[in-house]
Amino acid sequence: MSDAFVSLTDLTLSYGKTVAVPRLNLDIKKGELIALLGPSGCGKTTTMRAIAGLLTPSSGRITIDGRDVTRVPANKRGIGLVFQSYALFPHLSAFENVAFGLRLQNLGRDEIQAKTQAGMSTVGLEGFEDRKPAEMSGGQQQRLALARSLVMEPKVLLLDEPLSNLDARLRLEMRNELQRVQKETGITMVFVTHDQAEALALADRIVLMKGGKIEQLGTPAQLYAEPSTVFAADFMGFENIFATKGDTLVSDKGSLPLQFQSTAEQLAWRPSGVAVGHGPYTGRVVASSFAGGHREYVIDSALGPVKADASIDISEVVIGQELAFDLPQSTARALTK
Amino acid sequence: MFLNRTEGLPLALPAALFTFLVFLVPVGILLSVAFQNVGGGFSLQGYVDFFAQPLNRTVFLRTLKLGVLVAAVSAVIGYAAAFCIVSLPATSRGRVFGLIVLPLMISPVARTYAWIVILGRSGIVNDVIVGLGLSRLPIRFLFTETAVFIGLLQLFLPLMIISLVSAMENVPKDAVPAARVLGANWMQVFFRVILPLTKEGLVVGGTLVFTGALTAYITPAILGGSKVLMLETLLYQKVNVSNDFVSASVIAMILIVMSFSANLLLKRIATAKR
Amino acid sequence: MKAFPIWLILGATLTFLIGPFLIVIFAGLSAGEALAFPPQGLSLKWYAKVFTVESFRASFALSMFLAVFGTLAALILGIPAAYALNRYKLPGAETIRTVVAAPIIVPGIIVGLSLLRYFVVPLNVSILVALFVTHTALVLPYAVRVVSSSLNNLRADMEEAAVILGCTRLQAFIKVVLPNIRGGILAAFILGFVASFNEVPASLFLSGPGVRTLPIDMLSYMEITFDPSVAALSALLAFMSVGIVFLAERLLGFSRYV
Repeated sequence: MSDAFVSLTDLTLSYGKTVAVPRLNLDIKKGELIALLGPSGCGKTTTMRAIAGLLTPSSGRITIDGRDVTRVPANKRGIGLVFQSYALFPHLSAFENVAFGLRLQNLGRDEIQAKTQAGMSTVGLEGFEDRKPAEMSGGQQQRLALARSLVMEPKVLLLDEPLSNLDARLRLEMRNELQRVQKETGITMVFVTHDQAEALALADRIVLMKGGKIEQLGTPAQLYAEPSTVFAADFMGFENIFATKGDTLVSDKGSLPLQFQSTAEQLAWRPSGVAVGHGPYTGRVVASSFAGGHREYVIDSALGPVKADASIDISEVVIGQELAFDLPQSTARALTK
Repeated sequence: MFLNRTEGLPLALPAALFTFLVFLVPVGILLSVAFQNVGGGFSLQGYVDFFAQPLNRTVFLRTLKLGVLVAAVSAVIGYAAAFCIVSLPATSRGRVFGLIVLPLMISPVARTYAWIVILGRSGIVNDVIVGLGLSRLPIRFLFTETAVFIGLLQLFLPLMIISLVSAMENVPKDAVPAARVLGANWMQVFFRVILPLTKEGLVVGGTLVFTGALTAYITPAILGGSKVLMLETLLYQKVNVSNDFVSASVIAMILIVMSFSANLLLKRIATAKR
Repeated sequence: MKAFPIWLILGATLTFLIGPFLIVIFAGLSAGEALAFPPQGLSLKWYAKVFTVESFRASFALSMFLAVFGTLAALILGIPAAYALNRYKLPGAETIRTVVAAPIIVPGIIVGLSLLRYFVVPLNVSILVALFVTHTALVLPYAVRVVSSSLNNLRADMEEAAVILGCTRLQAFIKVVLPNIRGGILAAFILGFVASFNEVPASLFLSGPGVRTLPIDMLSYMEITFDPSVAALSALLAFMSVGIVFLAERLLGFSRYV
């Protein structure tokens, strides 16, 4: 608690009468890179907007660096926000976009010049000073938006789906860029995303949200290996999730005898955790696709479809044929409801 | 921040209050005049008296007739013109469209005045008629329903064309060739393909033209005079000649109800699809 | 369809729409005393006469004043209203929209009469003020509509970005919103100017001794005199309107906003 830099206490956020986020508690350490992860409508963007001051909480408290900012307006909070759409000012040049916030602070001309230049070079945009945003590529606009926030030296930098508008190659580049900037400046960053791969790759800690509540909080390694709920497991790629009833696995399609003892209510396996080619169960292959390092099968079993990844060393099983498989204890993840 | 409901009110209220006070309140009072008897109680006598006079009935029906007629004829011309415009290449399409819109920027007084030059006793049309010996004396065109009709048509046709062009731009490019390939003749193409797809534009244009013609003052005043009165010119006469404010109030109500229902219909149909 | 019938139809339509107007221009060039076409000889005397008619000069000045300042007043009222209707979820937004749009639906002649009877006379307001108020109210719906559509194209998160960078709400509006809707505002001004300048029905009842808008003045001049000076004046006014719109189109692609 003592090392919390940003702290949300019993934060309740609502739109009119609809409560989007009920009583949220979250502590963020200084210099941390936090991902708010979840599907659309989970309250992640709402939470971020509340931290930024764009949304007034109906109850609860937000403190940043020891100061209660719950009622501090957005323009006095010292927060940076990179918008999903970048929200660059189309009528201003790249330089003036970056200098915009500095000019409001009544700084000297030289200081504005120096800080703006430095900001633009931090993101590798030297030489683009006179361009209008519309004359820049998507990646350059993203950097410009980042620079515009960074020059303000915010206590916390918020990023809304920072990579969603970029193509795959740029996304990787920008991901590295964000990590580099974060390491160099040591700034506390909170970013919102619906992409689990993005959260896993970037964040120090991930806040997985569902229906306005924190479903699970942990490091990427923890969330990946040990999701604790059905929702978290599903989001983290455990595509085979079945309920247990005594010694059997059950689904709405049917059941299969469990090969080991378990007290968990639910058991989950990743496709890669399903053993293929041998085992106590069989099913008919209904789909098969080559995925580079492995082959992805969908096996129609007594439990309904089971997704399984098989090594390419094993010879291909044609659609319609029977395939033996196992749901081993070693790769099973026990879940609570 | 943008969801704060009351914070924006002070920005919007001045405009609304202004319009309400200097506009809706006086108009409301005028409309209420016809519903009052001498003692100030409620009465429909004003309406009964108004429609009891044959002249008023004639003017009412004439206004309605001309409104519908102008809307219908402009729809026919509008479809032909709009179809031609959308089949032009982009550059000349823009230019022709500009020329169609251009008259809307010109004063209706000037636009209507032109018809005096054309249709007057020594106007072009009569020059031709007398010159060709079709008639010994100039024919009277001014101060006829025909003159008013022509004037209104010219005034409001651009609105119909604009509406239909924008509706036709949304018709898929291949729809017409597809129908032709399937064996439809041009009549069938129009009634089975173009008309259903541009229905909304037709309604928008039709409403604009109809309400425009209904509430036009200049055209009936210049080209119709006191011989071909329409509701607006009749209202002017009632006030300026006979000081009859009850009739003025009745006419005002008729005009508002007619144009309001046309607008409501327009809104209904325009939003029905979304 | 072949190219020939297309141009035939368009040619006929355009002749009907614009032809009469060309005739007016030429009728004004007549050297004779009576209105006729073709003109009896060519001269610019009627175009010149327009400038010497005292009442035309006065009514032109009045119409100019109303068109410029009435439209400005409409923008001053309309821009904040358009902004609030666009960016806030106002209680009663639909009512506000309907009230502000009402002047488009209510026929002008009724407006003029109502204002004369229940505003000018009882409150002892001058005709000039009544005209100003009427023209402002008539232009207001255009101002709100055009500015709204240009605000619609401007993402709201740009203002949020400005606020987060330290702007107050007002600063964000001035520094970010205004520069980006400049074109829309100018378009609204031009539309309003043209509508106000050409307005007749509402101004019909709102004329007093020496206070008369130009189109009304032209109408009453036509009733008395049948010389080609009104043709000349019509032509001049049309050139003015078309010139303004043409210039606006060249400078900022005016038609994008209408």
